[in-house]
Amino acid sequence: MHTAAIDPPGITWLRVSPKYVTVRLAEWAFGNLIVVALLSLPLLLILLGWWTWPPLWLAVAVPAFMLVLALWRLVVIPRQVRAIGYAERDDDLLIRGGIFFQRVMVVPYGRMQYVDISVGPVERWLGLCTLTLHTASASTNASIPGLPAEEGARLREQLSARGEARLAGL
Amino acid sequence: MAVPGEKYDGEWLRVHPASPFVRGWVALAAIGYFFGRDTFERMLQGEPLVDGQIAGRAPWLLAGGALVLVLAVLGFILSWYFTRYQVAEGYVRVNTGFLFKQQRQARLDRVQAIDIVQPLLARIFGLAELKFEVADAGESAVRLAYLRMDDARQLRATILARASGVEPDPGRPEAAAPEAPEQQVLQVPPSRLIGSLLLSEQSVFVVLGAVTSVVLSAVTENRGFFLYLIPAALGLIAAYWSSFHKGYNFTAAISPDGIRLRYGLLDTQAQTLPPGRIQALRVVQPPLWRIFGWYRMQVNVAGYGAAGNNGEAGSRTTLLPVGKIGDVLNMLALVLPDPGTAEPLRVFRCGLNGLDSDGGFVTTPRRARLLAPLGWRRNGFAATDTALLMRSGRWWRQLVVVPHQRTQSMALHQGPLARRFRLADLVLHTTAGPVTPRVIQADVVEALALFDAQAARARAARKRQTSEHWLAQVAPLVEPAPPVEPAPLVEPVETGDLAPHQPPKLASSPREPGWRGPKLDQRLLDQRASPRASNPPQQEGPQRG
Repeated sequence: MHTAAIDPPGITWLRVSPKYVTVRLAEWAFGNLIVVALLSLPLLLILLGWWTWPPLWLAVAVPAFMLVLALWRLVVIPRQVRAIGYAERDDDLLIRGGIFFQRVMVVPYGRMQYVDISVGPVERWLGLCTLTLHTASASTNASIPGLPAEEGARLREQLSARGEARLAGL
Repeated sequence: MAVPGEKYDGEWLRVHPASPFVRGWVALAAIGYFFGRDTFERMLQGEPLVDGQIAGRAPWLLAGGALVLVLAVLGFILSWYFTRYQVAEGYVRVNTGFLFKQQRQARLDRVQAIDIVQPLLARIFGLAELKFEVADAGESAVRLAYLRMDDARQLRATILARASGVEPDPGRPEAAAPEAPEQQVLQVPPSRLIGSLLLSEQSVFVVLGAVTSVVLSAVTENRGFFLYLIPAALGLIAAYWSSFHKGYNFTAAISPDGIRLRYGLLDTQAQTLPPGRIQALRVVQPPLWRIFGWYRMQVNVAGYGAAGNNGEAGSRTTLLPVGKIGDVLNMLALVLPDPGTAEPLRVFRCGLNGLDSDGGFVTTPRRARLLAPLGWRRNGFAATDTALLMRSGRWWRQLVVVPHQRTQSMALHQGPLARRFRLADLVLHTTAGPVTPRVIQADVVEALALFDAQAARARAARKRQTSEHWLAQVAPLVEPAPPVEPAPLVEPVETGDLAPHQPPKLASSPREPGWRGPKLDQRLLDQRASPRASNPPQQEGPQRG
């Protein structure tokens, strides 16, 4: 398994479900296709001859640029999903993510204030969930998306139990 | 968490009867102005007190006005009557409201800070507001407005005594806890405060803006540019005034209950930060302040929240508005009584002003000098046994200090450019506030090593912290360090005489001259630890609450 330069050595990452790609695809379609469609409207109006102002090249260039950007995002989605990983250590939880802008985060169990599980419509259809850890710091942005529901429930119980055992003050 | 000797149930108390009027004086003044102005003008003009046209309706109008006034006063009185507070069994409770009742209780040992605030009008009447902060950055857990100044100080002393784990006298449980003795550490003279404002960052923009507008009006022969400056100037004057007003007469003192900060020209404020409540700290030096060697210190405290546009949070998170290097080191010694290094002065001086690897700092590698042409020799980090030091900025010098046991979580970041130069950033997450600790552009191997080491150090430090009662917190009892290494400096405030089993050789550990931790002598501590000692605490410095 490929691990990047900033991963601590000797960690076996648990990967999220490959089905999470579908969730990301749904999000991608929802966000990017609507934007591209909206930006294509002037092109349509010009082609119909109703508008004259934006020159044709501009009306083509803007949606085309957005389309290329959207396609790029589409291409990297499977790799991004494969890059998400987490590992339970004795005293803390490691979470990694990202391919270009990589991030490895460590959250000590004793610092957890609470654990959230959220499920969106597409995730529910696929039987997935998103687990979010909260500490006293607002900048702790620790969430693991795309967990199978039973793995999410197991992890939540596990984290809560470990957090209770190692509870520290602020 | 049972605190010994807390069977005593405190009685329910009310705030000062005058407080609703001090709080609602604006409304009363508005009513008075509204009704009074017209009458007054008529008196001046020698006309009859009421207009002839409405003379017949005057009794009704008067009755209506009186009714509004009576209702307002009645509302004030009811809200006062139904606001009651109590300190008992390790909790402070406040009940408010008569239609919509609210009962609130906060655990005393969760206190993050206690502030006593005196707005100008309250100050005239000798009243004060007490704010009790817990780790919820949104609002104060308990706000009691207003109490008599003595009562507010007494309540603060009681809360801090209970929260610190002081045992009340079993014979007289209702005896008031004595106020913790304190020693003044530093004071900011007004001249230095004014100088620091004149040389601050905003002054640079003032000068730039003035020069630009003069040049523009000279070139275009258009006098209109000055008009645009008026609102900007008003805003700047307000900003300068607020900084001056908040920083005026700034004094810092140390007591067993923590650091006391007092400041304010018209409104005065006294903050108490119990030991170990500071989550992160930064020392900054804007370029012009280097002329006089001035620094500013800011802190993250869980109860104070982020210093956004709200000026109050901005002044509350200021640990030192302006100070020389000696003041900075004194404050650092208060915040970090155990610096965790054998030569704290050298390490922290290097953190403030140093370059390259002096003082054990690990800097950005030379190969990355293209990414940070100015800062690569300065950007760096150093870890002592108790805190992580992060320095950055060649022109805007900055040093961030995070105690290991306050680290919440951490993340390593690496973007494509940093990967090319084999660099990584390490971000430490702390509670909301002005300080955002980040080790920038460290060598990737060093960053990974720091990531692992820091996780281990934070874990060890958390295990050492056993209680939220700071007098019960015994600083490193069994340090696994071999005796050849310098023994950890023992913090007398936290151990006090509560740890008689402490090996005496630790207490006389080598303390570098100059790192003057809280130099409270043992007598003061004994008084704090046992209120039975009846001699009153010796206060140094002015008693301003």
